[in-house]
Amino acid sequence: MFLKNRKLMALTAIPVIILSSATANFAQTPPKPAPMPPTSELMRFPKAPPAADPDGDHERFIKTDPAINLSLCVMEGEVRVNGWNRNEVRMLVIGGGNFNFKVQQKSQRSSDPVWIMAVGEAADTEKIRPVNECLRGDEIEIDAPVGASLNLKGQDVSITVDGIRRVSIKNAGGDISVRNVSDGINATTYRGDLTVEQSSGAMVLENTSGNIVVFDAGPSEIGDIFKAKTASGAISVQKISHRQLEVNSISGSVTYNGDILNGGSYAFWTSNGSIKLTVPASSAGTLTASYAGSFSSDLPYKLATETVSPGLVKSIVAVLGAGGNAALKLTTNNGSISIKKL
Amino acid sequence: MKQDCLDIGLIQAFMDGELDHSQVDKVSGHIATCDRCASMLSAAEDESAIVFPALEREFNTLVPTQRLWIKINDSIAEERANRPLWQKAWALIRIGMITPPLAAAASVLVIVGVSALMLVDRPAAIVESGPVTASVKTGDTPTPMSVAEMHRSDKVVPVPDHVSTAPATAPYRIERADYRPTVSRSVYAASPRLSPATAADRSNSYMPGEESYVKTIASLSRAVDAQKDNSMRGSERVSFERDMAVVDDAITKMRSEVKRDPKNESAKQVLYSSYQNKIDLLSSVSQKEELVASLR
Repeated sequence: MFLKNRKLMALTAIPVIILSSATANFAQTPPKPAPMPPTSELMRFPKAPPAADPDGDHERFIKTDPAINLSLCVMEGEVRVNGWNRNEVRMLVIGGGNFNFKVQQKSQRSSDPVWIMAVGEAADTEKIRPVNECLRGDEIEIDAPVGASLNLKGQDVSITVDGIRRVSIKNAGGDISVRNVSDGINATTYRGDLTVEQSSGAMVLENTSGNIVVFDAGPSEIGDIFKAKTASGAISVQKISHRQLEVNSISGSVTYNGDILNGGSYAFWTSNGSIKLTVPASSAGTLTASYAGSFSSDLPYKLATETVSPGLVKSIVAVLGAGGNAALKLTTNNGSISIKKL
Repeated sequence: MKQDCLDIGLIQAFMDGELDHSQVDKVSGHIATCDRCASMLSAAEDESAIVFPALEREFNTLVPTQRLWIKINDSIAEERANRPLWQKAWALIRIGMITPPLAAAASVLVIVGVSALMLVDRPAAIVESGPVTASVKTGDTPTPMSVAEMHRSDKVVPVPDHVSTAPATAPYRIERADYRPTVSRSVYAASPRLSPATAADRSNSYMPGEESYVKTIASLSRAVDAQKDNSMRGSERVSFERDMAVVDDAITKMRSEVKRDPKNESAKQVLYSSYQNKIDLLSSVSQKEELVASLR
């Protein structure tokens, strides 16, 4: 009778099936799927084609403290920063996205901004894409007070800076050219050339693939150091008045043209290349040279020790010129060293 | 220039990262000392510099589309997995209502299963841990048993008389069955970039301070090898490999020099500086990757 009554059987089966389903669910908990990526990540693809970008020209001004600190990141394009004698920052983006200034800190004295960030803004048609705070544009022009400090990160950007106080740049790829900077440069590019002219302050210039050229630089304070380092590329340093120099290339030549200052410390190194120094005839100091090729000097020197054993490294320690407090350390693993008169 | 110059095919394979580590070391070592091969590499690099940008758009458009599909499929799968319990139950009930014989069979199966569970899940006769006080026949030797065996055999663990005082009160230690094969596993030597210098370092004793350099380089190399394919373009990769070859060459030479003449301070300084250069070179890859990631 029980089996004949199908409806009754079905009603009896309902709680049993629910129970069994729940039991099965607990017993066989399926492996938890990977967490959903954040919406922003999902929205990153597909990238909007360039034709859909509302590229245009955007210009903004902001009144600032004379010693403004300007931070920005740029994805691509050409950036030109120029110092001017006005207490305001002007920024013009040509052929790129819109942007705005975000005030990070104000002066307690004048209540003018002392630290601003330039941030990219998504246009109405770009709502599907995440708002990346980096600017983008064919060209980006920035006019900033001469006392400004620039803090710039770039992905594939060609950067030119002229006439401000301090510069800090990190660029994944692209050339960097800096001139007339008065109080220090810290510049790194992982692919591209690095050029510094007529600037002063502590300098740290690093490069992975590209050349470094520095012309007419000096300290702004006593003790400011100069460091230039590249992996694949040549380094040329001319008219430097820092007293502490470290110049290092892995596979490239090193050229120095300038004075040897009394009390200075000059270290030039290359793993695979030559070292050429052109210094005044009156240059004096202690010379330590390690080399695998040849050593030549137009300047008189008096040997203290010399190692020319059949080994790979030849080395000399000598008193250069009339002697002095400067210390020159020249090292090349696979190349020659030459010192010439200026 | 060396007489045994490299084949252009080998140089292309080197550029494309198709060579194994020993071949990479061999090729890079050769390039570091052979001008002709270096110029061939440079020419190949120039060609790549033209070709890669031309194909870059193709690469960039293909990958996001595939990723998008993967993410869409993942989202659908997760949506299904996260469906509430009542929805799943309702789906089952609907199936049961449509096919009553199936429902009857399921209910019978459940009833049988629940009854069987109740019968099996009776309280066990022994406790898994705690003092074992059962009396045993003299002469029986104690044999460790797993908990599963104790349940299965449903018998008391035999304990000899002479251990029935102090050891009997000690908790019974359950020993894990030794199911693992006795084959000794070979230790994975993760050295993606086993430079000649590193190989030499392993076979010889380190100089003071050298070991820390070698360890740092080894750990950095592992990290860089994992990411350099993504973070470096073709030309950058070639430059990187060439610089690594130059530094490795310097390390090898200086190490042999120091080994030959341990008092050669110049060689020591060059060696340490070369190690530092290698660390800086490897670090630059990670730093670039971090920079690019911070901009996204």
